[in-house]
Amino acid sequence: MAETLLELSRFKMHFHTDKGVVKAVDGVDITVDEGEIVGLVGESGCGKSVTSLSVMGLVPQPPGKVEGGSIKLSGRDLTRLKRKEWQRVRGNEVAMIFQEPMTSLNPVFTLGNQMVEAIRQHKEINKKEARQLARETLQEVGISRDGILDEYPHQLSGGMRQRVMIAMAMVCRPKLLIADEPTTALDVTIQAQILDLMRRLNRETNTAILMITHDLGVVAEMCDRIIVMYAGQVVEETDARRLFRNPQHPYTIGLLKSIPQLDRRLERLYSIPGNVPNPRQMPSGCRFVPRCEHALDICREKEPPLFSLEDGHTSRCWLNAEEKEEADRDTTGNTAPSS
Amino acid sequence: MLPLFQIGSTGQGSIGETAVFQRKVGEIVFAYTVRRLLMLIPVLIGMSIITFSIVHAIPGDPARAILGDKATPEAVEKIRTHLGLDQPLYIQYFEYVKGLLQGDLGESLITQRPIAEEIGPYLAGTMELALLAMGIAIFFGMNLGILSAWRHNSAVDYTAMVIALIGVSMPVFWLGLMEQWVFAQELGWLPSNGRIDPRLGFEPITHFYLLDSLIKGDFYAFNDAFNHMILPAVALGTIPMAIIARMTRSSMLEVMRSDYVRTARAKGVSEFLVIYKHTLKNAFIPILTVFGLQMGLLLGGAVLTETIFSWPGVGQYLVDAINNRDYPVIQSGILIIATLFVLINLIVDLLYAAVDPRIQYGKE
Ligand SMILES: Nc1ncnc2c1ncn2[C@@H]1O[C@H](COP(=O)(O)OP(=O)(O)OP(=O)(O)O)[C@@H](O)[C@H]1O
Ligand code: SF4
Ligand SMILES: [Mg+2]
Repeated sequence: MAETLLELSRFKMHFHTDKGVVKAVDGVDITVDEGEIVGLVGESGCGKSVTSLSVMGLVPQPPGKVEGGSIKLSGRDLTRLKRKEWQRVRGNEVAMIFQEPMTSLNPVFTLGNQMVEAIRQHKEINKKEARQLARETLQEVGISRDGILDEYPHQLSGGMRQRVMIAMAMVCRPKLLIADEPTTALDVTIQAQILDLMRRLNRETNTAILMITHDLGVVAEMCDRIIVMYAGQVVEETDARRLFRNPQHPYTIGLLKSIPQLDRRLERLYSIPGNVPNPRQMPSGCRFVPRCEHALDICREKEPPLFSLEDGHTSRCWLNAEEKEEADRDTTGNTAPSS
Repeated sequence: MLPLFQIGSTGQGSIGETAVFQRKVGEIVFAYTVRRLLMLIPVLIGMSIITFSIVHAIPGDPARAILGDKATPEAVEKIRTHLGLDQPLYIQYFEYVKGLLQGDLGESLITQRPIAEEIGPYLAGTMELALLAMGIAIFFGMNLGILSAWRHNSAVDYTAMVIALIGVSMPVFWLGLMEQWVFAQELGWLPSNGRIDPRLGFEPITHFYLLDSLIKGDFYAFNDAFNHMILPAVALGTIPMAIIARMTRSSMLEVMRSDYVRTARAKGVSEFLVIYKHTLKNAFIPILTVFGLQMGLLLGGAVLTETIFSWPGVGQYLVDAINNRDYPVIQSGILIIATLFVLINLIVDLLYAAVDPRIQYGKE
């Protein structure tokens, strides 16, 4: 078994705003092993970006505040780091790429300047060696044109810029790469190329990837394990195959149903009824209860814990408790919502 | 213009290719500068027409206006011939422009000396004062703005912005008088009048006193000249400082929210470099506009400041000329200030191009 690289336990990041407390991340457990590709999915606003930015120490504090839990990277708790220590972690042990390649590079510095900066921040080498390393890394991500280091971001297309971002993130060989919707802003063919590139880098360098997306297609293609988030919490976690074959949580099932499928001709695309709850005013009990077709009485009263099913599959739903009890009682009834 | 960049990037050897690329960029910048200079020509022509009209738009006879009511007809006639007022208007204008092109700004009616010679020391005086005032405004304004942006919504931010608010709302003459009262009269720390202590018998070379005293190695004179500059420069620089501080703050705040600043942090770049490299260079682009505008306004403010502090600059020279109805001097003084204004804007435009690689030199 690979070593655990990243471990968030009961991690909470809340925002204290004028209009109240936003519990953007509210007790999340996530682990990423060395060399693994983990997908983090969920609707807009469920806290994916805040979770990933927390791992980078990039959540503005204030208004953000760690309200509990820990983020351990190779056993060291990142939430306790001082500013100088953070600088040695970012870009070196953990690197991150973002959704908007068009605006993620600084427009007034050359690519060479920005790459060399990333390298020399963490490696004691001279400028010339750093430029050489930058050139090699750009070649690894498929950019080999001469003079690229002297070009400015506006001279590159979106796909090229995202490659540069990946090169810049990988140049110090981080143990973990966080990718926050890296392909959302790109067109489909470029998307596929970027995903291929990331998979290849993962194989060649054994860099673990935490892939954030709301595109289940991307997740299906890329990830070993998938974590589904809803309203600041993890609601289901399992390996990729299981998630698509045997989803447990009603929210996951809804997400899967809303993917357009070529072999099924539907008149209308399914979408989960209702809206994401207001993060300042979470429903009591299960956070999914206002939108859930299977809601029970207990769902409105008590928040479900994460139930462990077989093979590391977990689900935050009372139905799984019942299922388990029924299984314990050795009955044959199946109340799984997928039936 | 883009093809030029691409020629640069299709060379073979990476080092030679970089050099080619940089030479090309150099040529483009040079061509751009030349084009901007050529574009000044119509502006300068327009300015010369306006200043020319100043004398000729005076109702009635300028010669009589100059000499007053009691002048004899002979004296008036003499002035008319002297000024060339007996010629047709367009000939007068061409004579005027011809003179300007040869560096001839006309003669003062009072001293009978060529204005081009006379105005030099005054011009140096104004420029030295304006440069120090602008230096103060830029240094303190930008750092104040950066500090409040960095500590957004903190006590530091509020304090800095209150200072800036007081700064913009303080009239120059009032600030100048207060300074004189407190620092010269009451505390006696700094001199309140003139450019240098006349008892030093300082012999200027370029008439930039700080420079001259350094050239001569006369540090006592340097110190004295500098002390003389502090109060007027602070009076003159306060409003631009406050405006630059506010502009810097809002521009920095906007850039700090941008994705590439987050990228810089994600690379592990230190907070100092995040602010002074990644944020400031981008935030600088809109701030530059303010520099240009403020430098222009500052030239206007100089007239007032020079009067309060008896500072021998163009402002003083002009005010004296107005009092004496010395029209050729008024004409040339305005022309020179306007030219300075245009040149400042040219410099700002060239700086834009230097800071922002996205500016396409080919297009306007
Ligand atoms: N700086 C902040 N101040 C206050 N609230 C914030 C801040 N940043 C994020 N939030 C809130 O945290 C919640 C989670 O946001 P987050 O950006 O993590 O969502 P997401 O899952 O990444 O969504 P998307 O798919 O749209 O990127 C949102 O309700 C958002 O409004
Ligand atoms: S706990 Fe209840 S409300 Fe929540 S998802 Fe499960 S069935 Fe639905
Ligand atoms: Mg997001």
